[in-house]
Amino acid sequence: MTSAPEEISGQLVELLPRLRRFARTLSRNQHDADDLVQSVVERAWRHLDQLKPGANLGSWMFGIMKNAWIDDRRAKSRRGEVALPEDSGEHPAVSPVDSNASLWSVSEAMNKLPEEQRLAVALVLVEGMSYKEASGLLEIPIGTLTSRLARGRSALAAALGDPS
Amino acid sequence: MNLDDETLMAYADGELEPAQRAEIAAALEKDPALAARVEKHRALRAEVAGAFATVLGDPVPERLRAVAKGSAAPAPRARGNVVQFPTRGNRAPATPWRAREWLAMAASLVLGVVISWRALSPATPQMIAAGNGALAARGALATALDRQLASNQASDAEVSIGLTFKSRGGSYCRSFTLHASGTAGLACRSGDEWRIPVTASADAAGGDFRQAAGSIPSAVMQAIEARIAGDPLAAPEETRARDAAWKPARQP
Repeated sequence: MTSAPEEISGQLVELLPRLRRFARTLSRNQHDADDLVQSVVERAWRHLDQLKPGANLGSWMFGIMKNAWIDDRRAKSRRGEVALPEDSGEHPAVSPVDSNASLWSVSEAMNKLPEEQRLAVALVLVEGMSYKEASGLLEIPIGTLTSRLARGRSALAAALGDPS
Repeated sequence: MNLDDETLMAYADGELEPAQRAEIAAALEKDPALAARVEKHRALRAEVAGAFATVLGDPVPERLRAVAKGSAAPAPRARGNVVQFPTRGNRAPATPWRAREWLAMAASLVLGVVISWRALSPATPQMIAAGNGALAARGALATALDRQLASNQASDAEVSIGLTFKSRGGSYCRSFTLHASGTAGLACRSGDEWRIPVTASADAAGGDFRQAAGSIPSAVMQAIEARIAGDPLAAPEETRARDAAWKPARQP
């Protein structure tokens, strides 16, 4: 550990908007997304000793969030809390009066994607990572990332319809 | 040239090596169908990125700021509705990672994008409603989109119309601002209603802001750029389109 806690804390605060956005691409609504951000930031503080010197704090946080999200879904699915995407429709991702109609429809479409495609889409299309960065973070080969991304995109395009 | 979709996608994302990139660029010039496939990848990327970009501008809940600061630094008291954007000084040295994106977002923030709670104010629900899997204009917004001309509108009108243009599909689209809720958006004619593919919060606080050239939030601007065919309508064309009840324009 080379960074002082004050420095880390400042960097974490700066990362919050991007962490919230990544969480929002994975969650059905902003409230769930913020719960995810909170648990990830708490985890990060607890495991700060695992952050390698010189490592990028942002990448590290995104990796923790990816793992936390997957763990959380596994746990909920064991408890039967996660409705299969096909069953959904009862609870819209956000209210239709949400500030952003596009966020509402894209988020609904994202929620229908399988986990691995959603992660690929979130990291590349939303976070703007290169294929290399995203495959590194997801710990998968670049070819796998590419095919997940392609499948996720065609599913999204089908769900959203072509722009008028 | 037979190109698989993954290669075209990688091209659209700027992921190919220079040699392959040049090869595909040459192929695209000869084959409009291929070029259209690349364009679809780009449009989808812009749509997805644009949708979630608004989250970056939302005020960060105090509880998250508190945990980020860690237990050593007690959280300051919650500040009610005051929106705390990071100061420029905080943002500038941000992570070297994606610095360009941060700057782009900072620029959007300056334009007053998205203060989400504003959009929850009472004016919005009656003007925008969900139906048939899409959002559509209702009430005063629908009336303004039907009747109001950008070239001739009262400065104190509830709704301002921005750009009116023909989409690539031939239908008319109009950007708008709801002043009471500080919401900006795009509406496109579909059948006899106005569908709303995107809204974003525009800071409606400053009177001058309304007329500012750059006042269309970036999410709305991206939606316009993804759809527009040709130039926005000039005043006479806008009047004619309105008088023809916004029937789809003939393809040029």
